Amino acid sequence: MKNKLNAGSDMIFPEKHLVPLIFVALAIICYFLADVTPGFVVEQVTVRFIRNSVLVLALIVPILAGMGLNFSIIVGAMAAQASYIIVLNANLPGGIGAVTVFGLTLVFNILIGLLLGKLMNIVKGREMITSIVIGLLANYIYQLVFLVGFGTVIPVNNEHIVLDSGVGVKSMLDLKIYRDFFNSFGTFQIGGTPISVFLILMILAIAFLVYYITRTPLGQNIKTVGLSAIKAELAGINVDQMRIIAIVISTVLAGIGQFIYLQNIGSLNVYTEHLNEDTFSCAALLVGGATIKSAKVRQALFGVVIIHAIFILSPLAGMNSFNNVALGEYFRSFIVYGVIALALILNIRLEENKERE
Amino acid sequence: MSEQRLRGLPQIVIGSFLMLLFIIAAALNYNMAELISGSLIKFAMNGIFVLALIPMINAGVGLNFGSSVGITAGLMGMCMAIQFRLTGITGFLAAVIISIPIAIVFGFFYGRILNRVKGKEDIAAIFIGFAFIPLMNFFWTVAPFSNREMLYPIGGSGLRPKISLANYFTKVLDQLFVVKIGTIEVPWGLLFFYAVIALIIVAFFKTKKGKALIAIGSYENFCKLSGLGINSNRILGVILSTVLAGIGICVYAQSYGFVELYGGPGAFAFPAISAILVGGCTGKRATVCQAMLGTYLYQTIFLLSAPIANTLLVPQMAEIVRMIITNGIILYAFLNQRKAGVHDEK
Amino acid sequence: MNDCITIQQISKNFGNQKALDHIDLGIKKGEIYGLVGVNGSGKSTLMNILFGNRVISESGGYTGQIRIENRTIAIANTKDAIKNGIGMIHQEFMLIPELSIYESINLNKEKTINQNKQSWLQKISYLDDKENKTLAKKTLKTLGFDIDVSLLVKNLSVNTKQFVEIARAINTDDLKLLLLDEPTAALNTEDSNILMKIIKDLAATGVAILFCSHRLHEVCNLCDKVSVLRDGRLVSTYGHQEMSVELLAKEMIGSEVDQMIREKGCTSEETILTLQDFSVKSPEERIRGLNLAVKKKEIMGITSLSGHGKAALCYGIIGYYPMTGEVFVAGEKKNNTISDSIAKGLFLLPDDRKEMGLMMEESVEYNIVFSSFQLKDKFKKKILKLFSVENMKIIEPYVKKQIAKLNIKCTSQKQKVRELSGGNQQKVCIARAAAMDPKILIVMEPTRGIDIGAKEKILEMIVKMNRDRDMTILVASSEIEELKRICDRIVVLCEGRLSGILDPGASEEEFALALTGELNNE
Repeated sequence: MKNKLNAGSDMIFPEKHLVPLIFVALAIICYFLADVTPGFVVEQVTVRFIRNSVLVLALIVPILAGMGLNFSIIVGAMAAQASYIIVLNANLPGGIGAVTVFGLTLVFNILIGLLLGKLMNIVKGREMITSIVIGLLANYIYQLVFLVGFGTVIPVNNEHIVLDSGVGVKSMLDLKIYRDFFNSFGTFQIGGTPISVFLILMILAIAFLVYYITRTPLGQNIKTVGLSAIKAELAGINVDQMRIIAIVISTVLAGIGQFIYLQNIGSLNVYTEHLNEDTFSCAALLVGGATIKSAKVRQALFGVVIIHAIFILSPLAGMNSFNNVALGEYFRSFIVYGVIALALILNIRLEENKERE
Repeated sequence: MSEQRLRGLPQIVIGSFLMLLFIIAAALNYNMAELISGSLIKFAMNGIFVLALIPMINAGVGLNFGSSVGITAGLMGMCMAIQFRLTGITGFLAAVIISIPIAIVFGFFYGRILNRVKGKEDIAAIFIGFAFIPLMNFFWTVAPFSNREMLYPIGGSGLRPKISLANYFTKVLDQLFVVKIGTIEVPWGLLFFYAVIALIIVAFFKTKKGKALIAIGSYENFCKLSGLGINSNRILGVILSTVLAGIGICVYAQSYGFVELYGGPGAFAFPAISAILVGGCTGKRATVCQAMLGTYLYQTIFLLSAPIANTLLVPQMAEIVRMIITNGIILYAFLNQRKAGVHDEK
Repeated sequence: MNDCITIQQISKNFGNQKALDHIDLGIKKGEIYGLVGVNGSGKSTLMNILFGNRVISESGGYTGQIRIENRTIAIANTKDAIKNGIGMIHQEFMLIPELSIYESINLNKEKTINQNKQSWLQKISYLDDKENKTLAKKTLKTLGFDIDVSLLVKNLSVNTKQFVEIARAINTDDLKLLLLDEPTAALNTEDSNILMKIIKDLAATGVAILFCSHRLHEVCNLCDKVSVLRDGRLVSTYGHQEMSVELLAKEMIGSEVDQMIREKGCTSEETILTLQDFSVKSPEERIRGLNLAVKKKEIMGITSLSGHGKAALCYGIIGYYPMTGEVFVAGEKKNNTISDSIAKGLFLLPDDRKEMGLMMEESVEYNIVFSSFQLKDKFKKKILKLFSVENMKIIEPYVKKQIAKLNIKCTSQKQKVRELSGGNQQKVCIARAAAMDPKILIVMEPTRGIDIGAKEKILEMIVKMNRDRDMTILVASSEIEELKRICDRIVVLCEGRLSGILDPGASEEEFALALTGELNNE
């Protein structure tokens, strides 16, 4: 379906698709250098697609609201992890546990979203850098809570998740009981990995939800705020409120994204699982052809596929062609940061030109 | 003015926290003389990174979140010095001198890019810095260095991630002219080097060029209307910051004893920025005094908090609290800066 | 009274400045009410109050009463205004270029597939594009337009945009009062006439209309009633039969006593500054193909209503905004950079003193010498033969002398400029220009925001620089009375074009006509 909301729909074809095309080409080159079977690639990409796509979708609404890449989705992800830990600590079993985790994630993230939205309204114009610092800060507060607070301030209910010293959550937790709950709705196999049908449906639902939001008066208002806050105000739109709503939506989706991700993996690296998820998701979205000013659902989904393909293939390609795995790894982290840097440089420049007119 | 009062708040909090740490340390019977001389070394070894922020802030380019660009230049200088097996103070100075032209070239291009993103330099600088690291990783992997002590010991190719300076210039400054005052060892050589850099910065901002830089940073439209070249002066500011960051890593490395390549350069931007903010800088204009005060407060807290946390609490706690302070200060500054900015408009 | 809207005793202060002073006004249903006045007369402030613009609430709100259909209403923000049936037609550039026509017209009142009573449910219902397009098309049709409504606004011509903006404002079921702010500025005569007709039709359906325009003949043709605002006061109101362009023009300016303080005729015949086919593009204004020659030793005034080019002309000459065409200084062609302007002997004191004319946090002394120290290599000494620094031995006595000469009131020459009064700040600016000693000085709004005593001193300083140093001076100001006192000739601009070059002795009426572009030069 053609999305008429797209601001750049009058652009000619190659320019519009240049970025994704370059990365598709890179993925193809890596594929030939990597020397692997198509089955392997499809399996790996699909699994990662399921784990990562909701987080990327979470970025879309703040971009439409003109707030740029929302790096603080990582806070939403941490809230989901915290929910898992809390529920494990309460010894809640499978079904009830999974539902409780989901409920807690929603509640936490609505509250976090409101707070972050308020903060973002204070720092109008530099939301992105603030969201990065918030993400880093939240990461260490999270560590403080679960590494130091757990067992000292927070009572331990579940001896299995605490470190031997009695203080701090173990760095690796088993979430299989929750995975089994979702898998009980039916699974199918890709390669050797079972994929829950329920999760697939959930991802599709969220993708549709994000698209749906853009097609409501609310979405239209958010988009108008993103295009020009002053003019939106003249049309009677409450700018600050729209921006807060955008961040709440983003944070909640990020939480759900992490919930799905962990649930699929079946284990939780308490202190490292969420790291770099923010930059990685942003890079995925940009690779899909989005900019810091406009983003669409299909760009998010497409971007996830391409960037994961490159991520899987580039170390293998590096190994095969230079006999050095490291080169491939450098290449992929260069892609993540480079594509964000490039998007920022190009967009900020465009913005300035527009203002001058 | 309530704003003035708010601006002092972080300094008061940090200052009292530091006092508290000293009291606890004394109560726990730590060797105070050792701690104080340690704090002097920590101060000077990290201090140049903080000084390096000043030219960019004053030129209106903002906080240098991409200091890894300059640091990489310093690393290249040191690698060259090691490659030529230059040792002692000669080796150190050679590293500094070689790094300067490299930093100028890096700074020039870095500055050109930052001019394109005027008004949003912070966020762009972060990712330029991040992206620069893997880019340089290619270089470290394929660069034709041949000194065995720099390369991966077995297998692998390219430079090793952590090159020991033990045979080259470990602690050449730290141990230069160490004089005991009472029971406290004072590393005069290191402090002298730091002072020279600080004085050069102070002097530069007294000259015509330096004054123009400050004016451009604070009053861009005024200067534009006066016919000063905005972009070229901003690039000059960025180049100065880049060169200083390069020198900074040389000083840091001789004290630390290792040259850390690959991911190494990424770890310095946030602590340095946090330090200068602690010193009372608002992000619009910075002085050497703010940098010095900030560095001392910031570094000493970390020096003291690590052993204390290890004795009293969970071992990882020190690092966590350190990072919460670092990022908390930056966030606080952002929230406050914006409020101050709104006030200015009225 | 069957007024649709009644405004009672509305006052508004910006800081200490009175923008509106107890305004009373009533508009009947179906009436077209004109509002005229020069810039700063309070027209736009009144509009902003009625439409709940942010600037009003942020600067402390207004006092007085607004009643719509005998209900007293409070307007705190735009949302309130819209809720009470007030619509506003902005100038065409207030549209969002990235939206399509139908999205613009339906903005914040989109129809959805299931219309919901509950407003939050309505907000998250699916958009009915078909309905929205039909609605937009219908509204445009009433304006006599038939175009593809899915086109993006940015691809439209200026006058089409203006009609989209009009459609946006009238696309509502309960429009009671429509505000129009210079709606014809972007339109040619033909389209203006169409718009006039639309407005009349709209009024015929019972909508009250408040029409602001500087095109006086349009006001005379269209309005049932017109009020003149001057200095925040409503000075007179005329019915349709009584008004005429000349009468309104005279009322707008008011009558002032002429005080000639400068002898004229000391200019040389030599031309020092020539503009050929000179065009400038600034964010707010355009200069379109201007030709002008300024004589040496002349004081030339430049005036226009704001938004009509006097600022763009000054900033364009110095090179702050991009210009096309050619500028010759004493016969030499000047390029488009500020540094070249300064090298050729030009200097500009801007209207925005706080942002562009002064370094507010720096000392009086530093402000005075900064430009000449940086650009003219004055006041400097060398250290180690290499580094230039300020030579305080020259600077301090020089600044002291200037402070005395210009009578700048400050506690010391190290005092921060921020702490000075507006008049003294302006004197600092002039001292800075004097230190630069340019051949041509451009001064913008030299007396804006300055008390009367200081005004005279500043005008005197400008005249003095012209006399003692043979400096050519361009003064851009909206204070015509002041220009008349000090200038040899006064350039009047309208819509970015030369409307006339008037003699300072010209009558108020001539000025008013020139300002509104009604002066017949032939």
